[in-house]
Amino acid sequence: MTVQKSDLLQGTLDLLILKTVALGPVHGYGISQRIQQVSREALQVQQGSLYPALHRLEKRGWLQATWGESESGRQAKYYRLSAKGRKQLQIEESEWNRLSEAIGLVLRTAE
Amino acid sequence: MEWWKSLFRKRALDAQLDSELRFHIEELTEANVAAGLTPEEARRKAVLEFGGREQIKEELRDVHRVSIVESTLANLKSAFRLIRKSPSFSITVIVTLALGIGANSAVFSAIDAILLRPLPFPNGDQLMELRQYNPKTSSPRTRLAPVRLEDWNRMNSTFQAITGYYTEDNSETSGILPEKVTVAYVASRFLQVWGIAPALGRDFTSEEEHFGGPSAVLISDRLWRRRFNADPNALGRKLRVNGHSSSIVGIMPVSFLFPDRDVDLWSSVPVDEPIAQSREWTWYLGIGRLKTGVTLEQARANLATVQKQLGIAFPKTDADLNVQIEPLKEMTIGGVRRSLWILYGSVSLLLLIACTNIVALLLARAAQRQHEISVRFSLGGSRTAIVTQLLTEVFVLAVAGAALGLLVANAASKVFPALARDLPRVEEIRLDWRIVLYSLVCSVLATLVCGLFPAIRGTRRDVSSSLTQASRTQVSTRNPLQWLLVGVQVALAVTLLAGAGLLLRSFQELGRVSPGFDPRQVLTFHISGSYAETANWKGLTQRIDRIVDSLGSLPGVETAATDATLPGVPSHFQIELKFAEGQQDPERKIVAESRFVSPGYFATMRIPILSGELCREMADSTKSINVLVNRSFANTYLTESTVLGRHLQEVPASGILSPGEIRGVVGDAREEGLNREPGPTVYWCTGASGPDPFYLVRTRTEPMAMAETIRQRIHEIEPARSVFNIAPLTEHLDEAFAENRLRTVLLAFFAATAVSLACLGLYGTLSYSVNVRRREVGLRLALGALQGQIVKQFLLQGLGVSFLGCLAGSVLVAAFARVLSGMLYGVSPTDVTTLLGVVVLVLTVAAVASLFPAVRAARVEPMQVLREE
Repeated sequence: MTVQKSDLLQGTLDLLILKTVALGPVHGYGISQRIQQVSREALQVQQGSLYPALHRLEKRGWLQATWGESESGRQAKYYRLSAKGRKQLQIEESEWNRLSEAIGLVLRTAE
Repeated sequence: MEWWKSLFRKRALDAQLDSELRFHIEELTEANVAAGLTPEEARRKAVLEFGGREQIKEELRDVHRVSIVESTLANLKSAFRLIRKSPSFSITVIVTLALGIGANSAVFSAIDAILLRPLPFPNGDQLMELRQYNPKTSSPRTRLAPVRLEDWNRMNSTFQAITGYYTEDNSETSGILPEKVTVAYVASRFLQVWGIAPALGRDFTSEEEHFGGPSAVLISDRLWRRRFNADPNALGRKLRVNGHSSSIVGIMPVSFLFPDRDVDLWSSVPVDEPIAQSREWTWYLGIGRLKTGVTLEQARANLATVQKQLGIAFPKTDADLNVQIEPLKEMTIGGVRRSLWILYGSVSLLLLIACTNIVALLLARAAQRQHEISVRFSLGGSRTAIVTQLLTEVFVLAVAGAALGLLVANAASKVFPALARDLPRVEEIRLDWRIVLYSLVCSVLATLVCGLFPAIRGTRRDVSSSLTQASRTQVSTRNPLQWLLVGVQVALAVTLLAGAGLLLRSFQELGRVSPGFDPRQVLTFHISGSYAETANWKGLTQRIDRIVDSLGSLPGVETAATDATLPGVPSHFQIELKFAEGQQDPERKIVAESRFVSPGYFATMRIPILSGELCREMADSTKSINVLVNRSFANTYLTESTVLGRHLQEVPASGILSPGEIRGVVGDAREEGLNREPGPTVYWCTGASGPDPFYLVRTRTEPMAMAETIRQRIHEIEPARSVFNIAPLTEHLDEAFAENRLRTVLLAFFAATAVSLACLGLYGTLSYSVNVRRREVGLRLALGALQGQIVKQFLLQGLGVSFLGCLAGSVLVAAFARVLSGMLYGVSPTDVTTLLGVVVLVLTVAAVASLFPAVRAARVEPMQVLREE
């Protein structure tokens, strides 16, 4: 499944990014790889959505970016979660859980 | 600047985006290689997988771009919405700022034109005025001998060129009637020093600058339009000045107004003219242009050396002389500098009052907008964003105010020339981009001064949450800050008003002064004459005597006289004197004002003769002359018994005046200026002090009614001369105080505006306070309080703050009154009566301003207010 702007709510991609970055500083390529691996290839983030989202989150102050050297020895832009972003992650996580529980509840009782 | 920065920022951003995306593609390529593809294959696949790189970059740019433009636009939009929503608030702020910024810009336009800009000549700051002076005497003779001017020009190493000029009012007689023209007689290199070329025609040639060469003149644009209707064929036409025919060789640009705006002709004086060879005959005012990079100090040192050399070469005439060099601009501006800065200081105070007023308004508004602000906080707005939003609102108002203010300034810049015609450089005052820029800077400053504090205070989170809770149930709000602002306004207004009051009192005192002469019903005028006539003093004296006698015999004229300078119009001609007979105490210098008057002067001006007799006019003043002294001179330097018959002599002797015999003592008169105590004065009794003295005629009726009669009589006896500058003496006296009057009128106007603004502030704050406390008042009325008590309470609150403001203002006055010293007459800078008057006036106006809200408070309907609860 490919995550695209139209497919999922904007907030979902943000949540995925925040969660991934929460594990430690990581660059854009790393984020897309990690989401792919962790979701067992179920979710593929398009670059055209990933980068605008990253920059938006950085602008909002939820992510902080620094330039550093990657494992391959190249200059890469690393993203890290800010204190504000951590709070936001908590909010969004619980929102998501609430929402998915609610949807699950509806689906189950509707049977 | 701004666009450049943003361009730079855009480049840096682009580079960052590029390398971030490139990294991603490179990592993909590497992963593909690891999966077993060839490097080319791997890269092609990676690029394909990555997708539209440029498109992504564009999208990223959008993320960054949108915020600045959009937030500014949003801020502006909401600012305009708010202004539309509360028009009365907005109009109050805009008008207040328009007055404040407008008045400030108007005075700044005058300061800019008169004090800040260089003179309107190429490299105007290089132009210097040069004079000679003798430090051993207090002689005012500072003009230059033509030969000395040439020596300075030849021997110095710091000036590009030095030239000189003097002016004379003459008659031009090539037309049907003689026409008065003002002629500037100039030395060689005149146009070279100014760096100006004629608009039409050419400069003088070297033949025209030599004795016996062709006679040529340059004419002013004004004369060209007046006489020749701006016809280019005027070049080569002849003008007849002072019986001497010259051809017009050039027409000067309209902007060239030197020595003053009345000059019609420039005529060159040959260096080798026989009468210009004496080192003692002085007539030029020197003007020089410094070489590039030379400082004033270097020029002074250089010319001092030059003059020392001349002193060795010509010990008799040059040994005692020094050179004085001042920037021409300083000499032009003269004394108006201080007046202008005082005015600027007072309009700046006015702007400060206006800003304080707006701060109070904004604070009151911020309290009303608490709810809105807390909503925005809860929606996630940052404090910076909200403060920016609030500031944007004020800025929009301030720019509107400044724009309106420019209209005010434009109108005001036309008032300056009308109020003070003689203000130097007044014709250069105009509204240009510098003033527009200045107004814009004013509005930015006003935004920060007015907006920042209320915005920061209004967005304090604790306040925003607590106040929204409290407003519903509170009984009364104390807003000490707003009252402090009202107090500050009152204090500043008191300061300005006290300044204006002191100037007004001085004016009043001046009007009350008894000048010792009677300026009413005296007509003054000039009759053209030329310095060439001074070669024959006897003839000149006879000519002027004949004119005076003839004027005196006109029906409707009581007496006629001449005087070198007008009585009561500030002037100085102090010379050092000694008695011809008896021992002189060398320690005790005799210094006195010298006036040159015809014997009829005392009767014409109604100055009484106290002892002795009236002086007589001698046929040749270089042989013998009568003098009268005033009482002050007699008391200072002589005893009553020894006055008459003694002889006074000039130090050093100029050879023009013979020792004068004292014939009598007259009363003291304030001839050197109505604001000056009469000092020791010597009257040299000669009508012919120069070719063109002031004529004074005492008339039996309204003086101007005699003007035509006098003109006709002069035309009968002297058909080649023109009569000009006909005006009553009282008008000259008025004009002498034009700058004083400008200062007084403007300061009074600013002070009145300041008091109105302060009272508006008081009224606004008290009304707001009454509004907030309506419930409390309603409750108290319901519980039996009397209306009178309520009125009294609010009235006292307003008056109390005003009183404290007055006290603070009085302290400010005491501290700053010294600024005005020297501009006051007959009243001390810390005059208690003036200050008391100001305080009473301010308190009265404050009481009126407080009464309206106070009465409104007492009229509150208790039932209605309690029902609203």
